[in-house]
Amino acid sequence: MKKYGLSMMMVGLMVFTVACGDNSESEAVGNNSNDSSNNNSNSSTEELSGSVQIDGSGTVYPLLSRIAEEYMVNEQSNVSVEVSRAGTSAGMKKFIQGETDLSNASRAIKEEELQELEENEIESEEFKVALDGMTMVIHPDNDWATEMTEEEITDVFVTGKYADDDVVLWSDVRDEWPDEEINFYGPNENHGTYEFFVEVLIDEQDLVEGINLQQEYSTLVELVSEDENALGFFGFGYYTNNDDKLGVVSIDFGDGPVAPSLDTIAEDGEYAPFTRPVFTNLSINSAKEKPEVKDFAKYIFEVADDLAGETGFAPLPEEELNSYIEFIEAIE
Amino acid sequence: MQFMDMKVVQSRMSKRLLLNQMTKWLFLASAIFGLLVLAVLLYRVIVDSLGWINIDFLTSVLSTKPEIAGIKGAILGTVWLMIIVGPVTMALGVSTAIYIEEYARPSKLTSFIQTNISNLAGVPSIVFGLLGLTVFVRLFGIGSVILAGGLTMSLLVLPIVVVASQEAIRAVPSYLREASYGMGATKWQTIKNVVLPVALPGILTGLILAISRAIGETAPLVVIGIPALLIPVPTSIFDRFTAMPMQIYYWTIDSVLVAEYAYLAAATIVILLLILFTLNSLAIIIRNKFDRRY
Repeated sequence: MKKYGLSMMMVGLMVFTVACGDNSESEAVGNNSNDSSNNNSNSSTEELSGSVQIDGSGTVYPLLSRIAEEYMVNEQSNVSVEVSRAGTSAGMKKFIQGETDLSNASRAIKEEELQELEENEIESEEFKVALDGMTMVIHPDNDWATEMTEEEITDVFVTGKYADDDVVLWSDVRDEWPDEEINFYGPNENHGTYEFFVEVLIDEQDLVEGINLQQEYSTLVELVSEDENALGFFGFGYYTNNDDKLGVVSIDFGDGPVAPSLDTIAEDGEYAPFTRPVFTNLSINSAKEKPEVKDFAKYIFEVADDLAGETGFAPLPEEELNSYIEFIEAIE
Repeated sequence: MQFMDMKVVQSRMSKRLLLNQMTKWLFLASAIFGLLVLAVLLYRVIVDSLGWINIDFLTSVLSTKPEIAGIKGAILGTVWLMIIVGPVTMALGVSTAIYIEEYARPSKLTSFIQTNISNLAGVPSIVFGLLGLTVFVRLFGIGSVILAGGLTMSLLVLPIVVVASQEAIRAVPSYLREASYGMGATKWQTIKNVVLPVALPGILTGLILAISRAIGETAPLVVIGIPALLIPVPTSIFDRFTAMPMQIYYWTIDSVLVAEYAYLAAATIVILLLILFTLNSLAIIIRNKFDRRY
């Protein structure tokens, strides 16, 4: 009886030893060492370790995760830069609790958030990272609504503008368009993209009833690509990576229709009215305590221009980025 | 005199036989339906993963570039999780089962514990995630690290181990215990030397099933907060981590950004399924091989 017991124990152990054996080969990553030595990382040649925690906007995520990877591969391989994307507001909650070092945002920080940060004695600074164009997407087979005026767009999403019961037909917008109901889509309240749309583009008016608001952009892309009467909005990056599955609305701001593109959403571009900066908020407390946070923050603005286009953003003017780098270098 | 009118019986016979046949096919179809779904799932996943599973995929770290991305970090994260889940559920689960089966007298307390263990098994996994977030991550302040994830998972699968261990202990014939007492052994000596060794195959089967459940769980990890991009591999239980189901989740969602991520997700699913099938087969082998050998 004892023998069987033993042999069973062996089997149980094997499951674990196999597991452990695997592990010894993994390179030593100085995680969580968090040595707050006084060496400020003015020279990026210095070996740093520790970790940088980032959460926030799903719109900014593709850019920041690319930057994080470049940083770990090319600059500091012992620093673990961890990027999540719970959404601007959800990420900001963590930032206020001091759980993250950087918080990405697709809208400017709010007054009450600044207040809460102050209550928790967290000093923070907001930086622009790149420019994003609010992109209006339709089904690829939709061949009528490929051009709309700015007013039509901002009105059609507002409750009661075209129809009291919010059953808006394409023909309500323009007579020659089909008599079919428009189905509206967008990201939900966790997202800065939603807030920018509601607060800036439609001036805090109520969205149409029955608009389908989603947490995940993947779901939105899927829904719009399968719905011939879809009209949705999200960041340019999610459109440009799926332009085979989605159609785009060119918007007439008064001087003829403009389609969003890396050129038109750039600073002072023709798509400017629907262009917004995307941000990252740096915890100055973290930057002071952890040299790796400061070093990575600086790195963001050194490479943001090169990596922006690749991930569907227009770059910011160089002087602006340089001024950010100077600001971060001055943090003691 | 005839008690049965054969004509009536005959007239209904073909109907009854037909009904019999129909029910048979209906039940067969139900049985096949599940298999069919599994087959479709396997087919789609395997087709998508073709060409993406190779040694590099298993041994490279995570990357945003699909052609060089690997799941070493996710595999190690899952392994580290199981290093916590295994011993913790084993210790807590078996102790609970020993208490209920060997020590506890039938009382209100015992039935209260028993009922709650059954209830625990029915609690949705996302609720355990919230528990883990509030208790381990926030209250104990250990952060979203392997230890927190492992303890959360342990609680989640604990009922499986308790129930399996209880059944295994209950199945130990009473004459074995009585013989042990007859030799002058104490209760603890009996449990240690007679009951546990005999019940061990059943307990281990339960443990393996519990671990394979924990390996596939995603919801608790989503709540605890696993970074979408985390490149360094974990080296201790206090490191932040990612796990295979999380990687599948993120890659599936991010496939709108980079289409190839869908194939990476499929490849990860295949690896995960392979691990699960291996573990489940192991559980069956243990059960068959060591059943009733005393």
